[in-house]
Amino acid sequence: MTTLLLEVRDATKRFGEGDAAVTAVRGVSLAVEPGEVVLIMGPSGSGKTTLLSMMGALLKPTGGSIHLDGIEISALSESRLPDIRLRKFGFVFQDFNLLSALSVLENVAIVAELAGLNGRAARNKATALLTDLGLGERLDFLPEKLSGGEKQRVAIARALINDPALILADEPTANLDSKIGHEIMRLLRRIAKEQGRSVVIVSHDQRIRDIADRVLWLEDGAFRDIVTMATDPVCKMAVEREHAISAERDGQTWFFCARGCRDEFLGGGANGPGGQPARPR
Amino acid sequence: MSATWLLTRRNLARNRVRLLVSVGGVALALSLTLALDAIYAGVANQLTTYIDRSGADVWVSQPGVRNLHMVASWLPDSVIDQVQAVDGVAEATPILYSTDTITAGDERAVAYVIGVRADAPMGGPWDVVEGSSRVGRGEVIVDRGFARKAGATLGDRVTVLGGEATIVGLSEGTASLVNSVAFVSFDDFQAMRAGAPVVSFVLVRTAEGASADGVAAEIERRVGGVTAQSRDAFAAGERSRLVTDMSAEIISIMNVIGFVVGLAIVALTVYIATLARRREYGVLKAFGARNRVLYRIVLAQAALSVALGFVIGLAFTGLVGFLVTRTDLNLELAITAASLIKVGLFAIVIAGLAAILPIRQVAKLDPAIVFRRGVVT
Repeated sequence: MTTLLLEVRDATKRFGEGDAAVTAVRGVSLAVEPGEVVLIMGPSGSGKTTLLSMMGALLKPTGGSIHLDGIEISALSESRLPDIRLRKFGFVFQDFNLLSALSVLENVAIVAELAGLNGRAARNKATALLTDLGLGERLDFLPEKLSGGEKQRVAIARALINDPALILADEPTANLDSKIGHEIMRLLRRIAKEQGRSVVIVSHDQRIRDIADRVLWLEDGAFRDIVTMATDPVCKMAVEREHAISAERDGQTWFFCARGCRDEFLGGGANGPGGQPARPR
Repeated sequence: MSATWLLTRRNLARNRVRLLVSVGGVALALSLTLALDAIYAGVANQLTTYIDRSGADVWVSQPGVRNLHMVASWLPDSVIDQVQAVDGVAEATPILYSTDTITAGDERAVAYVIGVRADAPMGGPWDVVEGSSRVGRGEVIVDRGFARKAGATLGDRVTVLGGEATIVGLSEGTASLVNSVAFVSFDDFQAMRAGAPVVSFVLVRTAEGASADGVAAEIERRVGGVTAQSRDAFAAGERSRLVTDMSAEIISIMNVIGFVVGLAIVALTVYIATLARRREYGVLKAFGARNRVLYRIVLAQAALSVALGFVIGLAFTGLVGFLVTRTDLNLELAITAASLIKVGLFAIVIAGLAAILPIRQVAKLDPAIVFRRGVVT
């Protein structure tokens, strides 16, 4: 359905000036094919969200460029960006960001109306989409009456309502339990594969790696190779084996993000609070 | 219903306390302005009642006298025949007039005292509800409200123009917040003025088909040494005098205070409401909503609050007006079209100004705010 190719070319984002300048993203390049699911991982403060914001035309890069469907969106004037956001992107957030005063149906329909559909057509389209996502019985509910998984499905419906070529998801599983988080990720993958939409997810949730076609590791604003990653058994954070704090126990090597996690692990039960030994990724 | 309008309504309804404060504040502020205007218009109506109900089409007075309130007008009584002789004059009747304090028991009240001939075709009381509508020597007709407050009835004595007179009639519709109208005999009034051959005003009824303004101009031209005005012009002069005497500046200041209070309340509540939903506006921006769509939502919220406040304020003022009529106060609240238009314009300006700060907030809003961690919704 789409020939989209998102290309990030040598993108840099710097905040502030002079001595106070902070470079959040430095010279990143990335190409996303139609129907591809790309997972960008990395520790907190690595620049994931800044990169995602630039890809979604919410933030302009300080250097480099971003191209969508052959159009350099990073060079477009501010007045042209709303249309691009409205029709080309769908956003899914960690905090769901549903409009609290509107019902499930209205939360989705309003975005269709922004794109020019009339009220009835927007509601019909939103109803069909929400029903398809298993929310047919929740159309008139306010967000506060929904579970976390339901809220995220509403957010996904909202992201899909204008048939965008690219879904950008920021930590979509962070506020969900493991089972629901996996369901949401499988849903995103299904959308990518069945509808040919590209999905870019930023997360540091190791549990969702298996749904991605490609996993990238962003650290200090730049992509690094993912060859020797391990999971901290306490906080489940992905850590680089080469630079992580490690400890031996029961004949195995465990890797930790910080001394606190290591101490907690060594002071815990037989397998520690986290349970599983760390394995290289 | 468009989604933006729906969002406007839902955002307002979602926080009922804020809505109540906003609408209630506007209602009170606009009520203040409406009520002051209504009181002013009511008093103006009451003060021109005698002029309006005297039956005269033209008022002839001492040169330069253009109203009744707080003035003295003296003309030689020879003017009566001169006026009567002017073309277009059907009838001419003199009255004597003074502002005086009438006293009944412990009750004292300021009154327009009118000296009127017993057979006068105009200028006398128009709605006598008890007793006689004609006053003879030593008699007086007073307002029923004044008599009730004084505990006086027909046959009781009152002090007026420095002498005593017996109440022979009680009239209705002859009192305002500041004074009432009392009628005494022309001869008594003249005697109290040492019998001087003068009159205060000559009241003229015009001949059929003659215009009041035309006859007034003709009287001024033919008689000379007098001011003649149609009833409407004379009443307008009375209202204009009232503007000066009723401290219109104070009413204007109260209007400004009402406007500023209303503006401050709406501006603050809309600003807080916008601030509270900053993230949601950011979400809409991230999804491609243009600023003008968000401005519309903010402006509609302010306009809806103000419109509700206006309707409630109007209803409240009407209710107060109704309740006032059930009291002993000689007060009438008259909500005029001009006042409604003025307060309506106030309301529109309040809504517009109140939306400026929130609109600036929304304009500056960075859509990337959606990626900052916040409260989970």
